Amino acid sequence: MTTQHKLIKRLIGSTALAVALTGSAALAEELRFTVWTGSDAHLSMLNGIADGFKETHPDVTVKFETIPFGDYVQKITLQLAGGNPPDLGWLLESSAPTFVDAGVLADVAGTLKGTDGYDFEDLSASAMGLWQDGDAVFGVPFSTSPFIVYYNKSLYDAAGLEHPDTLAAKGEWTWERLKQDAAALKDGDSGVWGFQSVDGQGYGSRVLHTLIPIIRSYGGVAWTDDACGLNSDEAVAAISLYHDMIFKDQSAVPPGEQGDFFTGNAALTVTQLSRVSKLKDAEFEWGIAPLPAGPAATASVIGQAAIVAFAQGKQKDLAADFLAYMTNAENVAVMAAFFPPARQSVLEGDAFLSSNAAVTPEQMKIVADGIANGAVAPGHVAYPQIDSAMRPKFDALWKAEAEVKATLDEVCAAVESHL
Amino acid sequence: MTQTAPRTKLTLRAREAIAGWLFVSPITIGFLIFFVGPLIAVVGYSLTEWNLLTRQSTFVGMDNYVDALSQNPDFWHVLKNSLVFAAGLVPLNMALALTLAIALSRPFRGVVIFRTIFFAPVVTAAVAWAIVWSFLLQGESGAVNQMLAVVGIDGPNWLRHPDWAMFAVIVTRVFKTVGLNMILYIAALQSIPRDYEEAARLEGASGWQVFRLITWPLLAPTTLVIMVITVVGSLKVFDHIYLMTGGGPENGTLVLAFYIYEQAFEFFNVGYAAALAVILFVLIVALTITQVILKQRSQPQ
Amino acid sequence: MTRFHSPFVRACWYLSLAILAVPFVFPFLWMLSGAVKPQAEIFSSSLSLMPKTWRWENYAEVFSYQPFARQYFNSLYIATVVTAGTLFLSSLAGYALARIRFAGSGLLLLVLISALMMPEEVTIIPNFFLMKWFGLMNTHAPLILLPMFGSQGVMATFLMRQYFMALPPELEDAARMDGLSRFGIFWKVALPLSRPALAAVGIITFLFSWNLFLEPLVFLSDIELFTLPLALSNFTDAYGLPLWHLQMAATSLAVIPILIVYIAAQRQIVESFALSGVKG
Repeated sequence: MTTQHKLIKRLIGSTALAVALTGSAALAEELRFTVWTGSDAHLSMLNGIADGFKETHPDVTVKFETIPFGDYVQKITLQLAGGNPPDLGWLLESSAPTFVDAGVLADVAGTLKGTDGYDFEDLSASAMGLWQDGDAVFGVPFSTSPFIVYYNKSLYDAAGLEHPDTLAAKGEWTWERLKQDAAALKDGDSGVWGFQSVDGQGYGSRVLHTLIPIIRSYGGVAWTDDACGLNSDEAVAAISLYHDMIFKDQSAVPPGEQGDFFTGNAALTVTQLSRVSKLKDAEFEWGIAPLPAGPAATASVIGQAAIVAFAQGKQKDLAADFLAYMTNAENVAVMAAFFPPARQSVLEGDAFLSSNAAVTPEQMKIVADGIANGAVAPGHVAYPQIDSAMRPKFDALWKAEAEVKATLDEVCAAVESHL
Repeated sequence: MTQTAPRTKLTLRAREAIAGWLFVSPITIGFLIFFVGPLIAVVGYSLTEWNLLTRQSTFVGMDNYVDALSQNPDFWHVLKNSLVFAAGLVPLNMALALTLAIALSRPFRGVVIFRTIFFAPVVTAAVAWAIVWSFLLQGESGAVNQMLAVVGIDGPNWLRHPDWAMFAVIVTRVFKTVGLNMILYIAALQSIPRDYEEAARLEGASGWQVFRLITWPLLAPTTLVIMVITVVGSLKVFDHIYLMTGGGPENGTLVLAFYIYEQAFEFFNVGYAAALAVILFVLIVALTITQVILKQRSQPQ
Repeated sequence: MTRFHSPFVRACWYLSLAILAVPFVFPFLWMLSGAVKPQAEIFSSSLSLMPKTWRWENYAEVFSYQPFARQYFNSLYIATVVTAGTLFLSSLAGYALARIRFAGSGLLLLVLISALMMPEEVTIIPNFFLMKWFGLMNTHAPLILLPMFGSQGVMATFLMRQYFMALPPELEDAARMDGLSRFGIFWKVALPLSRPALAAVGIITFLFSWNLFLEPLVFLSDIELFTLPLALSNFTDAYGLPLWHLQMAATSLAVIPILIVYIAAQRQIVESFALSGVKG
């Protein structure tokens, strides 16, 4: 019997040891900050800001933790539910209503307004919309980034086509034109597609980011407070254009295929300024243009991300201090190289136009104009549910024989059950 | 149990009982803590509406069950997907495993190489297997369709077509897991004495007759174990589908395990997910009991 | 050696095996070639296995992108601990269920068998809160405890029981005459005889732990603590897009050592399955 006891004890002991060995103890003066970027350029910029914070808070280190974009919201939620919350983090606009509503974000209004030289009023009111509730402030956008067109200049020149930014200056840059160009530039033999959806995720998580710019320029909306607009005539016309690009022209990267703009396998794409960091080693010339115009308008769509402090965090005051430091005018100017700011003073200054060495001031002007005219991408308190209800219905759209209008009616039925 | 009966004293029986319980106690205690306890908790959760993010829960009685069984069309659809997946995977896997095992059970030049080839996917991380195959199965530029094009077949867009996607995840899952079953069958085949077969051959039995009348019955215990392992594996499949199709397209590959995960950890509906889990548990217990009853009935023969 | 009736039969034999082997081999070759290709080339040519540009840096970048060596070690040590623990627990319990007559053993067996079929998804929610309560979030403990005591541990117990059932009881009688206790019989007689079964169950358990995906996904948030399956799906750029070339390089690093072990030990593996109770 004693041998048995000994063995069992040893087993329990070894399990406990394994637990002790692997448990990670957080340092008292460490702030955990979750981000979804793994880019060296972004992280060294962020670490630079954290180093600056050390001048006033020598004992504080900020640890930036990268969580892949696809798992981000889910992982943050698990950390919150699991009692292991980060102190601060990035949050995407689509999650804002859900997180604000759930009460998991700390109100940092007091800290921001009480910090000397912060100049809260400088933050543009429209950019702050999602992150404010009365006097409470639940986050400060660090990126108010319009969707813009990236084009492969080498391919355009080889085909003898006029550049999109030149066309835009003449007022001739339309979605129809983009469709024509994409069809002309597609070259199946060398594995080059005409157009890639936002981050190549246009048939998955980025379906709205891909379609909304077209829909809005055709005069449509995704949804209002009580109705879905995705099956309106405007939206159907807009989505039909994209559907034709995929299945009639076969110029857009179709679902189930890979064709990446940033590796030179697609001639055009729509995405945001921060993706410039992916063009560092590009073996082709590239350019930036505004979003094309549609029959109704030149719509600009803004994707937004904010820095938030979590209400459950163990060092809420310190976290709020760092949030204030990170979003002061000086640091916002630093981050502006990748993330167009919500601070008017920075946005309007000349320094912004030359903040990123890889982007010319003229190109940066396109970004600044996009912010000035843009509206934030659609969001909702029930966004996760809407997204999940909507996506299987959208799947049915990505077939050559799909009836666009009928399919969108189904999408809308799914969306409306959650509005 | 073939154990010799306790011969003399009652104390021996008592000592045996104590020993027995001591032997099973470590796993039983762990099992109670990490399986039975949680299962009871799941039943409790299933009676609430509980949001993982807001951490608020309210008692809602049977609402979640009503919702799953009669309101939400997804549940039956997902259950059907799970059954289709299992019904497709299990026979395909076992038939291929047996075929390969028969081919590779006797030594010939290169047999080790072939065994290694068919076993290799088993030791490959499921993640990697799913990633590589999702590339090979791309609509036009994927290697599979390019190979099919060589012989004049215009392959479908495998992972984006609701029906083909299910077929594709089943077949690639079979490739991933068949090696283990193959090895189990090879092991069983090698332990069948050669005399049986030779004797039958001498009496003029054909190869097929030898297999049907001698080999197959002798493999029955192995087949049972393989079937249990494979059915269990097919009901639990998660990462393979999570990475290859994410449950799509049009929820065509959304299976129960994945659906429960999604409800709990992506939409934060802990209560609803728990109700799904309880329903699944009841189904599985019913299935197990049916199996036991059927087995007992067939035993007298 | 199998003798072939004619060269033609032999050719057909090898040809059909080779065709069957394609879906098993091609993904590996594709992975190995993708591991030394630049990202753009992976996109453009899915059928050509020979890289136009050889990019060996992929392998170096795997280690600079994530603490890959650390994650490799995590997977190895977790799988080892789980395997050792499971073997001990399951052989102990399996032996008792097969060999010792005690009240409640039949019921216990039935309960355990019904647990075999349960997916981890069912109990992971309460286990999530249980681990939180134990303070074990973001540690490896759930990855060790849950397989050992969950359905994998039950499966191992069931397989060990099947083996012990088939063991001739006479072997034990002699030991009992010598006055060995139950544990002594188990430890000195039954366990040494069950080496093949232990090997078979050990391999199945090791592979189960090695491939574990859901538990790391739910319980781990610190990249240093990740295990291989999670790490492999984590080679993504700033916007969540996969870095295929790094994934392929990392995957080949994760697979090849295990394959070498398998080739070296394949005869013993087959034999141990052949001798183990797993065959029935």
